[in-house]
Amino acid sequence: MRFSEAVRTGTLEIFSHKMRSFLTFFSISIGVISIMYSLTLIYAMTSRTKKALEVAGPGRMTVEMKRNGGSDSALDAKEAKSVITLEDALAVRSEFPGLYMVSPGLKKWVELSHGQFSDEKVVEGITTEWKKRGWVYKLRGRFLNQHDLDTYARVCVLIEDGGWMKKPKWYKFYGWRDKFQDYIKHNDMLGQTIRLGNNLYTVVGILREPPAEKNPKYFMGVSNWDPSLLVPITTSQRFLNGWAWSSGGVDDITIDTGKEATIGAYKRKVDKFIKARHGGRIRFEIKDYREIIKERLADKQRDMYTVLIIGAIAILAGGIGIMNVTLATIYSRIKEIGIRRAIGASRGDIMTQFIIEAMLIGFFGGVAGILLGMAGIQYLASKGDTDMMLLQWWMPFAAIVVAVLTGFLASLYPAYQASRLDPVEALRYE
Amino acid sequence: MIKCENLQKTYPLKKGQGYQALSGIDLEIGRGEFAAVTGPSGCGKSTLLNILGLLDNPDGGRYLLEGRDVSRFDDAERSDLRLRTVGFVFQSFNLLPRFSAAENVRLPMLYRGVPKEEAAERARALLEKVGLKGKADNTPLELSGGERQRVGIARALANDPVLLLADEPTGNLDSRTGLEVMDLLRSLNAAGLTILMVTHDLNLARAAGRTIKVRDGRIEP
Ligand SMILES: Nc1ncnc2c1ncn2[C@@H]1O[C@H](COP(=O)(O)OP(=O)(O)O)[C@@H](O)[C@H]1O
Ligand SMILES: [Mg+2]
Repeated sequence: MRFSEAVRTGTLEIFSHKMRSFLTFFSISIGVISIMYSLTLIYAMTSRTKKALEVAGPGRMTVEMKRNGGSDSALDAKEAKSVITLEDALAVRSEFPGLYMVSPGLKKWVELSHGQFSDEKVVEGITTEWKKRGWVYKLRGRFLNQHDLDTYARVCVLIEDGGWMKKPKWYKFYGWRDKFQDYIKHNDMLGQTIRLGNNLYTVVGILREPPAEKNPKYFMGVSNWDPSLLVPITTSQRFLNGWAWSSGGVDDITIDTGKEATIGAYKRKVDKFIKARHGGRIRFEIKDYREIIKERLADKQRDMYTVLIIGAIAILAGGIGIMNVTLATIYSRIKEIGIRRAIGASRGDIMTQFIIEAMLIGFFGGVAGILLGMAGIQYLASKGDTDMMLLQWWMPFAAIVVAVLTGFLASLYPAYQASRLDPVEALRYE
Repeated sequence: MIKCENLQKTYPLKKGQGYQALSGIDLEIGRGEFAAVTGPSGCGKSTLLNILGLLDNPDGGRYLLEGRDVSRFDDAERSDLRLRTVGFVFQSFNLLPRFSAAENVRLPMLYRGVPKEEAAERARALLEKVGLKGKADNTPLELSGGERQRVGIARALANDPVLLLADEPTGNLDSRTGLEVMDLLRSLNAAGLTILMVTHDLNLARAAGRTIKVRDGRIEP
């Protein structure tokens, strides 16, 4: 009951000082907007990580060269001439039969042509182990086999885009079009011969990716280095001309232990084993999947922290604003406090009144922020920001709670001051 | 009903010094009395009323309200007792300007926890009783001085007090409306309410049943 009366008094007070209230609303709103934005980013990141881990399984790790930086105290960069090779992968495969998958990869940026059509695409050299990646593709024709690898066969498998189960609106306007994907969609390539670099290859199979909604690639963010074609890694090393990261060896070896529990132990064993094979003259690292995901998401995390800091500052400014407003109202309402005390209000009553008033300011500012923030996030989502599509219903509520809590905390001290005023003095005040 | 023994009040001034506003008040007021408090400006009348109305504590002496010594009550105890037993009427009305007459009258009941509808109903009845039927929704700015003071009186009556303290209630009114307000107070007194009223008007003082003269923080015999 007293609560609703305090709400009424507070609302009267807020709307009789429009400019003062507006300024406070403003900073609270900005705080609320950035809280919602950051919450959405955090949510997007964790759900992507979770999905990516679900699809890939927790036993993944990647062996790759240290690309830049990361000094190895035991080893000078010039001294370390060795690179990871296909032979390393094969040796790991036979040394550790308990591993579920040992899949080396070598990507090259290659000139591709078929009749009039030509394009530049990433071609990945692989072994038969690649199939065990467990990502659900649909295959037409056949996959690369051991015979292809042993004979350096000039055969390839195309990777066809999976499309969307339900194409989002933004995709029509902002989605990129891939000419190669368009081409293979309209021309059945199975059994055809295409030119890669300086040689002709036979298309023996076509892999169709799962639709985007189920494709782990989209949880992680699409990369320029996702391959469009697969060839035997032996063929790639011997015949395929194109630009590659790796000089002579392979890019990486993807290993799957099959379960999370053994990943630590295998990481150490494989590390030791490969070092021994190169006499220690090699700079590589083994990252497990969690680390890789973290790395890929690092940029987003930085964004998020920036926004979160801006939000915290705005909320803090809003809080100081509320404190200021509450102090100011107290000074302009000393007489009123005296009157209320004289007709029977206790210290607690006075304190409650000012706290509720401040929480109202937080609430109104929060609501304004939510309306603006939702509009902004919807806008970003409609422009194709996949993170912003993940706005959850509880996020505005959380933001409002923060705003109201800010009002509460910021008003504690001024409200306490107000409640301590001597009623006689307050009543005499003009 | 009220019994004061050697009440003292000193207002602190600069370091160590103080101004003794009350220097030993002995006073007894019975239930149903209407007493006028008179005396020159600055003699301590308001200070006395504030203590009797539980807005302030005396520094010395005893104050018995209905047999209970309340002179050492803390702020919370005083607030609670003030809410239930005392009504204040002020010279400058002291109404909340943004609230209607009815809302002003309702406020003390809300502090006591009376349900909103019940409080609103009683506020209207009280306003009717003080002769303001039809003005319940006016804000103080839309009322004349006499009407404002009636609202003030209605508000003082909200929680059915046993003691009404009026500090120069007619001080801001012309003599005719002053007399009307005095009539209202007298009718309340006739209905059994104990009233203490500070006034400079000797005619009004005479109209009250008893006159208490204060001088330099003491009661003149
Ligand atoms: N808060 C205060 N601090 C210091 N002196 C005060 C205070 N309040 C009142 N006084 C002094 O106490 C004396 C009595 O004041 P008051 O009771 O208001 O007199 P009045 O009889 O006019 O109502 C006055 O001289 C006044 O100046
Ligand atoms: Mg006075």
